[in-house]
This record gives sequence, C-alpha cells and structure tokens, in this order.
Amino acid sequence: MRELPADSAAARGLAVCHTCGLASHVDDVRCPRCHSSLHLRQRESLQRTWAFTVAALLLYLPANLLPVLRVESITGSQSSTIISGVIQFWQQEDYPVAVIIFVASVMIPVLKIIAIVCLCFAARDGTRPRGMTRLYRVTEFVGRWSMVDVFVVAILVGVVQLGTTISIHPGAGAVSFAAVVILTMFAAMSFDPRLIWDAAAARPQPAQQS
Amino acid sequence: MVSGFLVVQRSLPPLVCHDCDVLLELPKLAEGEKAICPRCIAVLLTRGRNSLHRTAAFAMASAVLFLVANWFPFLTLQAGLRESQMLLWQSATGLAAEGYTFLGAAVSVFVIGAPILLIGGLLYLVLPLLWDRRLPGAVPICRWVLRARRWNMMEVFLLGVLVSLLKLGKLATLTLGTSFWALVALIICLTAALSSIHPRELWRRIELAKR
Repeated sequence: MRELPADSAAARGLAVCHTCGLASHVDDVRCPRCHSSLHLRQRESLQRTWAFTVAALLLYLPANLLPVLRVESITGSQSSTIISGVIQFWQQEDYPVAVIIFVASVMIPVLKIIAIVCLCFAARDGTRPRGMTRLYRVTEFVGRWSMVDVFVVAILVGVVQLGTTISIHPGAGAVSFAAVVILTMFAAMSFDPRLIWDAAAARPQPAQQS
Repeated sequence: MVSGFLVVQRSLPPLVCHDCDVLLELPKLAEGEKAICPRCIAVLLTRGRNSLHRTAAFAMASAVLFLVANWFPFLTLQAGLRESQMLLWQSATGLAAEGYTFLGAAVSVFVIGAPILLIGGLLYLVLPLLWDRRLPGAVPICRWVLRARRWNMMEVFLLGVLVSLLKLGKLATLTLGTSFWALVALIICLTAALSSIHPRELWRRIELAKR
C-alpha cells in the first residue's frame, strides 16, 4: 500500500467500518459497534477487482454466443441468443422494448466492465478523483439491471411449463449471463474508492499550493 | 430519554467519509436535511421526519404484500384451450426443474431470499426500536439486512415480467394476476422502508437501545 495522505482518517489510524460507518481505531481489529473486521482499506482490493473483472469478461463471450432460450412449438424449435432477442423485438416494431433490452443486456455489462477497468487505473494514477468516485457509485447502482434477461428466461420457463402446445427451455447462455452480472457486482463491491483519493494525494499537485 | 441520533453519550470519533476517507465534524442536522461529503459528494447521513415510524410502517406493509405476492397466481397463460398458472416462486423452481440449479438458486435469492431477509430483518430490528429496545442478535441481523439490499432485484424482475408479456404475445395470451399488482406495491413499500432510515441512524439507534 502506498503512503496514506495526511488529511485522511487512515493516516491517524482511524478505520471506517464498511458495514456501519463508525470510525474507530484500527487497532481495535473489530468494529466496537457491529463487530465487522476493520481495515484501513479493503484488503487486496485491486487484485480482487481485476480477478472478478477478467472472469466476467471471459464469460461475456459464451453469454452472448450461446442461446439463452429455446422455444419449441408445433412449427419446430427455435433458439435465441440475447442479440437475436433484441433483433426480434426490433423487427416486431417494439422499439422501446428492443432499446431497453439492448441497453440492459448488451450496453450496461460492457460499459460496466470498462468503467471498472478505468477505476482500477484511477486507483493507480489518481486521476480525476471526484469524477471517478461518482463513476464508482453509478457503476454500483446500475449493474443489477442487466439481470432483466435472466428474469425473462425464468418467467417464460416458469409459466410455459404445464404441457401446453409450446414449451420453453433455458439455455446455457443464460447461466453465463447471470454469472457475468454477479461477477461484475462482486468486482464493484471489492473496489475501494478511497484508493483513488490516496493516489490523487500522492501525485505532485502544483495547482493546490496557492 | 434518548431522542435520536445526535445525542452524544461518550466522546464520539469524528465522522469519516466512507468513499474518500476525509475527516469531518459530525454535523447537527435538522429534520429533512442531509449531510454531503464536501470532497466527493457522497451522502453521509440523512435525517428524515419520523424515520423509525415510517420504516416500521412500510416494513409491515411490505410483509403483508410479500405474502399476497407469493400466495396468489402471478401470471396466467392461455394457449388454445389449455390454461396454466404460475406462482411467483415458480419462476425459480421452473429453472431448477429444467436442470439449471445455479440459475434457479440465483433467481430465488434475488426475488425471494433477499426480500425475506430485508423485510423480516427490518421488522425484527425496527419494531423493538420503537420502544427503544433491541432483541438478541440485532447486530448480526442488521449487518445481513444491509448486505441483502444490493441482492434484492424485485424491480428488475418486474421489468422482466413486462418484457415477457411482449415476448410471448404472439404464441399465447398472458394475463397478470393479483400477485403482480402486489409485487408492484411491495417494491414501492420496501424502497420507502429502506430509504426512510439511513443505515448510520439505524446503527446508532441499535447501539443506544436497551437490550
């Protein structure tokens, strides 16, 4: 860990409990209020974040290439991937739905992975700490919405079960896709935004000398 | 009598921003005000009007709505002469029955497990707090409630329902059941219950409550 900035709580040995927000002395080991373990910074934050992000990136391929859904009806069986689902809605002229699915299932995961990589670099270089902290908060909030396609599969499989003329089965793509979303959520959880501020304080800053 | 958050019983350590680790003074907030970190604009603390009573009321409403949402049919499907009904939790068991255990488990955590933990945990914490008391295990339960927040995805599920309706539009007719409308109300109530009280205030009240 780099040297802690002088104006930070950590430099005075104060650790904020990441569960209840109480500041207490790091020598206490456990938070006196909620008994969570205390750390000045999240342990191995960047390593964990990178590991989850790389895993998510690897699974992103099968998530988009493998079918998420297989519909069997009298006319035959039809598999669909996430992209083909978007295209289908677009061709049916359900433009708002096509856009929602495209944003939630295609754009958000990609943007989220890019954002986490940017955050990791910001934690190293200390660039734009305020903007990057805001990016961190947006990333944490928005990731869950990617789950919408997994829920669509769950609902369709659940409702079309009881031996009707059509049957719907989940595909392996849905598993990879859920894993991508869960892994990026873990990646965002492991990231410690305070590292950006540590790195920013370590940079030479002639502008703030006035 | 303990009248709230700002009663200082022992020398309190300073307020520290959880996102940028800057040291701050604990501000004195009026009702409806919130404290924002001057450096990274994180929301540090909010002080709502009647926070505890609001959380208790919305949590109780959520509990009733959760039972309704899981008791009545969620969706009804009509294809030709056949008709099938789905309960909320069958969206998870359907996946498991197809051999996708991991997916089924994930979905059941997101739409059943996390909401149960949130609603049950909030009630267990907040109802005794109305009389300034805490029940055994309040501390670990509060930790779990706060952790469960991010895994509760009922609102995303709701969007999934709307997409499913359109997706099946051609193949069959889907009708929304009572449970769907209970879910809509549940999402509103649970969001209100959680946002009425700031975690820091909840912890402070638990800390000061009598056992």
